[in-house]
Amino acid sequence: MNMMSATECLLQMCDEHLELEDYASGVPRWCTGCGDNAILAAVQRLCRDEGLRPEKTVFVSGIGCSSRFPHYMKTYGFHGIHGRALPIAEGIRMARPDLKVFVNTGDGDCCSIGAAHWIHAIRYNMNITVFLHDNQIYGLTKKQASPTSPIGTRSNTTPRGSYLEALNPLSVTLGVQNVSFVAQAVDWIPEVLFDIVKAAYQHKGLSFVRIVQRCPEWLPTSLDPWLHDPNKVLLLNHENGLQSSAGLSRVYKNQLQHDPANIDRAREIASSTDVVPVGILYRNPEVPCYEDLRRSDTLHTPELTRDGLNAELDKYTVWPREARAA
Amino acid sequence: MEANTQAHVAFFLTGRRPSEHLDAVDGLDLWPALFAGYRDLTRLRYDFPLLLVGKRSDHLMVQSLSGLIDAALADATRGGDGERIRKHVLRLEQEIRTLVAAGAVGSFSALWDRAAGELGASADQGIEDSLRRTSAAIKKVDGDLADCDAALPARLLQHAWAAVQRQKAEQFREHVSRLVLKLSDILKADHERSEAGRSAKHLKAAVGTGFVEAFDFDAMSRMLSTALPKDEFPEPRRRRIGQLLDVLRAQQFFPTPALATKKTGAAKSYSFVFDNCAEALAAFRKRLPKLIELAKAIAIAELEIDGQYSEAKHDALFEQFGANGLDPQDLTPFPDYLVCVNAGRMQAAEHAQLMEILSSGLPIKILLQIDDILEEAPDGEGNLNSGMRSRQTANMAIGLNEVYVLQSSSSNLYRFRERMLRGLNYRGPALFSIFSGASGTASGLPPYLVSAAAMESRVFPAFTYDPSAGPNWASRFHLEANPQVDLDWPIRGFAYEDEQHQRVSEDLAFTLVDFVASDRRYARHLARVPRQKWNGSMIPVDESLTRERKGLPDKVPSLLMVDAGNVLQKVIVDERLIREARRCREMWHSLQELGGVHNSHAERLVARERKAWEERMQQEAEVLAAALPLSPPAAAAVASLEPEPERSPDEAYIETARCSTCDECTQINKQMFAYDNNKQAYIADINAGTYAQLVEAAESCQVSVIHPGKPRNPKEPGLEELLKRAEPFR
Repeated sequence: MNMMSATECLLQMCDEHLELEDYASGVPRWCTGCGDNAILAAVQRLCRDEGLRPEKTVFVSGIGCSSRFPHYMKTYGFHGIHGRALPIAEGIRMARPDLKVFVNTGDGDCCSIGAAHWIHAIRYNMNITVFLHDNQIYGLTKKQASPTSPIGTRSNTTPRGSYLEALNPLSVTLGVQNVSFVAQAVDWIPEVLFDIVKAAYQHKGLSFVRIVQRCPEWLPTSLDPWLHDPNKVLLLNHENGLQSSAGLSRVYKNQLQHDPANIDRAREIASSTDVVPVGILYRNPEVPCYEDLRRSDTLHTPELTRDGLNAELDKYTVWPREARAA
Repeated sequence: MEANTQAHVAFFLTGRRPSEHLDAVDGLDLWPALFAGYRDLTRLRYDFPLLLVGKRSDHLMVQSLSGLIDAALADATRGGDGERIRKHVLRLEQEIRTLVAAGAVGSFSALWDRAAGELGASADQGIEDSLRRTSAAIKKVDGDLADCDAALPARLLQHAWAAVQRQKAEQFREHVSRLVLKLSDILKADHERSEAGRSAKHLKAAVGTGFVEAFDFDAMSRMLSTALPKDEFPEPRRRRIGQLLDVLRAQQFFPTPALATKKTGAAKSYSFVFDNCAEALAAFRKRLPKLIELAKAIAIAELEIDGQYSEAKHDALFEQFGANGLDPQDLTPFPDYLVCVNAGRMQAAEHAQLMEILSSGLPIKILLQIDDILEEAPDGEGNLNSGMRSRQTANMAIGLNEVYVLQSSSSNLYRFRERMLRGLNYRGPALFSIFSGASGTASGLPPYLVSAAAMESRVFPAFTYDPSAGPNWASRFHLEANPQVDLDWPIRGFAYEDEQHQRVSEDLAFTLVDFVASDRRYARHLARVPRQKWNGSMIPVDESLTRERKGLPDKVPSLLMVDAGNVLQKVIVDERLIREARRCREMWHSLQELGGVHNSHAERLVARERKAWEERMQQEAEVLAAALPLSPPAAAAVASLEPEPERSPDEAYIETARCSTCDECTQINKQMFAYDNNKQAYIADINAGTYAQLVEAAESCQVSVIHPGKPRNPKEPGLEELLKRAEPFR
């Protein structure tokens, strides 16, 4: 029964329908075979399908291969400084609530130098869609181990192999108060990647999507066991989450019914090491957004300012006796 | 036939009362027997009086006195002296109810204090303490108290309407203020960039006096003149925004705070409450151009603020804005009109205008108050009018499909408060057909009892029809507020003491006859049977209605009534009233069908399906009995996955849906491999490259979705080796 009124139709009549190319800007400089290309294609498709207006959309990034993302989107973009994509995005969200805000950050950018901002951004739960491009290496600076590099990764900073267990961005995120949306995608299953990107965008609150992606230049084979064995991918299905298509189910038979409302189960799944869980791990639309809590409903009209000033100044007025009595 | 019975039958058939066998009921002040316990309503706890709470827009805008007291007592009586507090507060409640029934008006808090005075609270410390401890909780809400009387329908509906309009006004004011602020900001920004805005004088004024010496405003002005972009703000846009601001600021549909508080010289806001349909219609039509102008200004302002207004596209579109009127959704943000009319005073022309409003889809809410639902027939002989126009208006409005219809007795309005709000919030016309029970023709019955009896007897059933609730009758029509909705007449237990002082209990149906019996105008249709002449030929009215008369009746319908001393009397009824009761029951049956109770279509369908099912079961049983080999269980019915397109291993193809857009193949040959509109690869032209390129692409594909098939050119060099490399991807 939710019909649009004639005036609403009129307002939308002249809206332009944009194609995928209308969101594309320049030729990406990423290496051939890089997983960033798949993420870019999925996000451009999202913009087209959701009819996002370029002048009302902003992509914010930090530093790294992934952070070149805003350059390739014909929308507003902010290529920020290392690790600071999230606070910039939060500022934009607070000042311009009419904009759709996306963040593209890498495993080094988010989980190392930007880790403090990451934790607090989750807690603030502002309505932002965050894509963590996790290729498990610093690629732009030519191969240094990142916090998510698997133990034993040989790199320019760890020539004998990295010494520490990799940080798990999913379980970290799921451990922070006010977390409201956590999902994991892999760049080599574009259908699910797109579905997750879409679900993340449609969630109100901070949607955190970790995208496991290949780096064909510096870690060309590290993901091969998962890439070439469909049984090492665990698809998460649920009536309140994603539902795998028949075609996908033929290839990826390892599936699990998981209710995204169950955070304890989500934490268990996030800790899996033998398989890569793909799907929505956790979603709670009830968590309040910081901007909604803080934004004043009062319209800041000149009259309001004047009345406020008058009220303050009146505190120092020496009233005639009769006026005070009145 | 025995003489008494003969006299009863004669009265039943002709309405003529032989004086030696039957008594007239005029002047006996009889009430239906079921009302025996309701002589003094002030001693009973029920929904009334109601508290009309100010500044609430939800269902709590009206609360019942008893409900409020109960809530307060639940908190205040937790301690050891709880029982004492309860006793005192309930006495106070009764006192307030008595005051209101006697015509006292005023706010709840004022009547609380007055009732406390009547109880002697100041002299009795116990009472004073009880009331003090309860009043803190209870006086958090305040408003006027309203009893169930002739004024209630209009008073309550106006109160609810005002609450809805207040909410609308707040939303509207906020919306318009936001638009005005944003449009003003656009003009202000334009001014700041203009020559005047960059002048040294303006810059100086902007900084204020505190730091005036710290700046060289001439230099600043020169700098800004060269640094700021030169693109001019188009004059038509500036003019358009100015006009929008004028329209938004001058609107008269909602009072602006400035108007409300400072009484500026601006035009006064419109009134939306009327006491006749003609004036409401005329006002709506007169104000329509202004309404369209305002709605158009709001729409254009939204586009302007968004930077989306394009003269080339939108000028032509908005030129004809509202030429076909505004649809109900467009009208939603604006105030609804409220018309309160009394059915008793309406002439035919007023009825026609009422139907015109209802059928036109205008946002006009109409209260049709009915004080008398037992109108006399124009023959002047004390007969009931069968037309019952005022009762039928609601049914007719339902037939229009797009009208929200609420029919209820006053006594039920408190229970219908949320539905009333829903009707007032409905986009489009709404009809509230309310029976007040205040005709003054009932034998001393208070309006509350009369209106409750009308609903109980099915004479004025309560229902709502909400077109916005769904596409079908099941979701739109609700009848369940009526008592024992699945029965023809509600059945109530009745107990009395007989001549031997023994308790006798029986079930009584409350019918139209019980309702009419207390109306003085129809006394001639009833006759009291003296106790010594009571006999077995007198049967209850509901039983009589189920009997089909064939030939001379041997039973006559009767009902139990009580006189002023609560002594039980039996009254027989003539056939005229029984005919009316039958007609009333038929109308109730129609409503039941609409409400899904005893729906004849559904019952017929169920019977047909049941028969078909039974036949099917029978056939299956016969098949089983024939001991045929069992067919395999529904294995074949297992849902098969959608078939995968058959691909020949010789064919070259890409599993496009699995492509991860990694650019590997397109880097090898852009003509042969291309991206589709989802930016996923497919083979655009197989002849645009070599088999070697196909194999190379398959090998470099990160997700192994390229299948090179068989070579097309048998003469391509190195085929033998290429075929070996292609083997894993076939």
